Amino acid sequence: MSAQPQPVTPAKSARSFDIPWTAMPFLLIVAVMVLLAVAAPLVAPVDPNTQNLLARLKAPGTVSRGVTYILGSDELGRDVLSRLIYGARISLFVAFSSVLLSGTLGSILGMVAAFYRGWVEIVIMRLVDIVLSVPAILFAIITVAVLGPGLVNVVIVLALTRWPRYARVAYGQTLSVANMPYVRLSHFMGASWIRLLGRHVLPNIAGSLAVVATLEFGLMVLFEAGLSFLGLGVQPPMASWGAMLSTGRNYVATAWWIATFPGLALFLLVLSINLIGDHVRDRLDPKAR
Amino acid sequence: MPIFFAKRLFQALIAIFGVMTLIFFLQRLAGDPVLLLVPMDASQADIDRMRIALGFDRPVVVQYLEYIGNLLLFDFGRSYVQNIPVAELIRTRLPYTLMLAGGALVVAFGIGIPIGITLAIRRGKPIARVLSGLVLAGQSMPTFWSAILMIMVFGVWLGWAPPSGARQISSIVMPSIALGLLSMATFARVARTAVLDELEKDYVRTGHAKGLPMRRIIFRHLLRNASIPVVTVSALEIANLLAGAVIVETVFAWPGLGQLTIQAITARDFMVVQGVVLLGAITAIGLNLIADLLYSLIDPRIRMGAGS
Amino acid sequence: MPGLRRITSVLLLAATLGSATFLGGTASAKDLFVVDLVNEPSSLDPQKQWNPDSYYVYRNVFDNLITRNDDGKIAPQIATSWDYKSPSEVVFKLRSDVKFHDGEKLTAEDVAFSVTRIIDPAFKSPQISQFNKIKSAAVTGENEVTITTDGPYPVLLAQLVKLSIVPKHAVEKAGDDAFNAAPVGSGPYKFDRWDRGSLVALARNADYWGDKGPFEKVEFRAVPDAATRLADLQAGNADLIVTLDSDQAKQLESSASAKVLSALTERIAYLKLNPTLPPLDNAKVRQAVAMAIDKQGIVEGLLGGFDKPASQMANDTYFGYVPDIKNVAFDPEAAKKIVEETGAGKTKLSFATSPVFDQRIVQALAQMLSDVGFTVEIQLTDMAAYLKRAQSEPAQQANLAFGRWSCACQDVDGVLFPLLHSSSSWSSLRDPKIDALLVQARNTLDDKERQQAYNGVAKFVADDVPMVPLYEAAVLYGGAKNLQWQPTANESMFLNRMSWND
Repeated sequence: MSAQPQPVTPAKSARSFDIPWTAMPFLLIVAVMVLLAVAAPLVAPVDPNTQNLLARLKAPGTVSRGVTYILGSDELGRDVLSRLIYGARISLFVAFSSVLLSGTLGSILGMVAAFYRGWVEIVIMRLVDIVLSVPAILFAIITVAVLGPGLVNVVIVLALTRWPRYARVAYGQTLSVANMPYVRLSHFMGASWIRLLGRHVLPNIAGSLAVVATLEFGLMVLFEAGLSFLGLGVQPPMASWGAMLSTGRNYVATAWWIATFPGLALFLLVLSINLIGDHVRDRLDPKAR
Repeated sequence: MPIFFAKRLFQALIAIFGVMTLIFFLQRLAGDPVLLLVPMDASQADIDRMRIALGFDRPVVVQYLEYIGNLLLFDFGRSYVQNIPVAELIRTRLPYTLMLAGGALVVAFGIGIPIGITLAIRRGKPIARVLSGLVLAGQSMPTFWSAILMIMVFGVWLGWAPPSGARQISSIVMPSIALGLLSMATFARVARTAVLDELEKDYVRTGHAKGLPMRRIIFRHLLRNASIPVVTVSALEIANLLAGAVIVETVFAWPGLGQLTIQAITARDFMVVQGVVLLGAITAIGLNLIADLLYSLIDPRIRMGAGS
Repeated sequence: MPGLRRITSVLLLAATLGSATFLGGTASAKDLFVVDLVNEPSSLDPQKQWNPDSYYVYRNVFDNLITRNDDGKIAPQIATSWDYKSPSEVVFKLRSDVKFHDGEKLTAEDVAFSVTRIIDPAFKSPQISQFNKIKSAAVTGENEVTITTDGPYPVLLAQLVKLSIVPKHAVEKAGDDAFNAAPVGSGPYKFDRWDRGSLVALARNADYWGDKGPFEKVEFRAVPDAATRLADLQAGNADLIVTLDSDQAKQLESSASAKVLSALTERIAYLKLNPTLPPLDNAKVRQAVAMAIDKQGIVEGLLGGFDKPASQMANDTYFGYVPDIKNVAFDPEAAKKIVEETGAGKTKLSFATSPVFDQRIVQALAQMLSDVGFTVEIQLTDMAAYLKRAQSEPAQQANLAFGRWSCACQDVDGVLFPLLHSSSSWSSLRDPKIDALLVQARNTLDDKERQQAYNGVAKFVADDVPMVPLYEAAVLYGGAKNLQWQPTANESMFLNRMSWND
């Protein structure tokens, strides 16, 4: 949480994305999770969707039909460890793609609003207000009812409900950047707005947007879980941490392992990302909100 | 300033109107409540009769105009499921939502602000790292998971508070904590920033140089000055708390608007959804407007809030 | 503002007591009995909404014309006896000693009014489909009412089990809305208050003509999350909870303070196939689906043995049940062969479901079908979207759908007609022979002729497989150890059939 350069940091660069050593363990956690997700087919002991009704709710370490359930089996006799590894894929994919989509959409709209002012600004910023005041669940239910359920539609729901966060930041930051003398100057010299935004504005506001994106990434992991809890998430039998957690929570007293492992994984991922985001934010502007 | 205010107010009204229109048409894309209302073995003729009785056979535009017309007369319609006026339904649920939001605010504010101040004063010290980790941990768990753990531990095993419901005063403790944990980090962060800002100001340095005890400077002067941004962010956070209670209310069986929202949406109880969303939009957009105006008073360059 | 007033009183109460007290569970005599439902009743007017959460509550406030006893047989309640004057006219003799909660006597006028009210299209009762064969009800003597139907109607008595008697004077005086908010009945419990979104409270009717209720006060609370209901029961915050699955029930087996209460219901779980879309338009492929499903495995391995494998869309308490029917046997190897030969595995089969159904079953079924070579994609949507799809044109329906059906009438007409007759929105079958059999059975009072028609339909279901009957579903409740209660097949919850041992 320090703005002072840490003397022990081996990295010499004082660039804004320099991560202090205290954040390293968390970066490592995220890296390991991403690695597991990518290499899931190679790492997972068994197929995550193969059921065995004779080996339901078995405790960690149980062996049945030649399969060792290292982290136990779930309510349909599937291997919790394998589902956890494959679940990382889904949770990370949903979070990553929804952040990418909503981030891009929101940043562009925010910059455009600040740059053009006038009617464009009013329309975009009021749209921001509108989307922010509609319950996300309503969007989720309508999307599922109209487009059908599925992984891609979960991403669409999240993207559609989250872009205003980026739009607000992009808007506010662009406002201040756009008034800087050199930006005005290139505007007078006839630079196209795409060039202006890309060349001068975006590099200046990218840091703040990155901070929002980091925090949103953690939130998206939680939102995917929340959608699963409400029955609007990824489709069964697909494993996501949120889906595992929302069925597993019914077994807290009898088969603790079903919910505890995905819950722990989810908690560690989100906490790591939040801490990294906090560091980045601190580094960028020690006093930024 | 008055012109700016009038303009923003007008825009806010347009935005609220936009929300209502959007919701009206979007909702109807997801089907209607008729099939949920009739028994499973109802014939097609019965279903059609019910649909006509509820007015869903008419063109959507006609239904929309009728809705807007009624809205202008402050008639919010009736629940198709419960057969009572929407206004009545919301009126019975609103107090619970306010109580829960209040409870959560006490938790988030009461824990978040002191931690935020500590973070600023003890900046860079190990205690600050631990505290900020703890605050962030509070918002790193899905509520439906942390809530059931709380229920099992404090409700079932220790028996300190009833696991669910709203029958006694102790019922509000667990839902408030579950909901408050989510906003706690935001408050801590804002408080930290505000205090850091103040710490750099001349009066603090002067006071310090004059030999005034730091404790006295902080409690006498600094906190009062740092409270303005905190209050502004609180306004936005209250809107979040009012809207964000769907899962907490569902798990704790707390009869507030969050539960009503999800029930109405799944039941396609259109008018109730419209009513809840209208209230939410007025709260969110209204509080936003107030926050914007406060910002513009504090900082004439009109810094838009980065939100949360 | 009753809401605010309530909150102030709660605050005052808390202030006086200094700390919170448990209101439920610990009293020495069982004064307050707490039931955790899923949702709050949508209506307490028994002639409006008819869903489980409403039904559980208002059936304790109202008496019905007739009822079912614990064995599921039709039994007298307000009516003491009945006679068919003609195939379309039934005369009911009524009790004379029944009083409504406001002290007024229940008369034949009230019974006739109740029937007339529910069949009046202007009243817009969602239950009208259950009573629309009734043409009129008239007072034909002291304590005597005659109900006339539109032609012979064999399931009239089964439907009348669902008809509650409302007081004419109170309804007319208060109006429908006010009556719904504060209903007046003649049942073993009186309406006390309704905290919207939270609970409905009832109080014992000390003057009830029949078996009186064992608890002074009863609260029906709305607790949507099953894990929370379970916690409530274990903490003593509730005495009876509804809608458990078998795994949640297992958790109670080791509990010191709670137990599982279960009964087989009239509900039949089934897998519906869409015979209008390939590859399920081929009867052989449909049979392969039936061969792939291990009903025994599901019932024993997954459902904990509470339920019972079903051979047809009925159990033996239904009229129209066919003993010794032959089903396609469980044979995954043969199924595999058929799927391979017909190339049925190349088409992706959509499998529609909704969170209200047990997702363990749906996933297990999908797995069993995948095991023999089908390609199955589960599509989970909320109930409204599920219903909309299930009741659309056959070509728009999913290839497969899981459902659980009960007509609460113990007559196969209530199951087979909506699921198979081509006029029904649920049906994706278009078979004139089956239509003819179903109509024939519906329009006669001759039991032999009806049974014969249903034999034909049951054989068709077993051989041609428009749906696979899976199991007779059990209903599972969690109850406090001290509660004595035997749940019944028709899923009602009569408080005056319970007792409490201290």
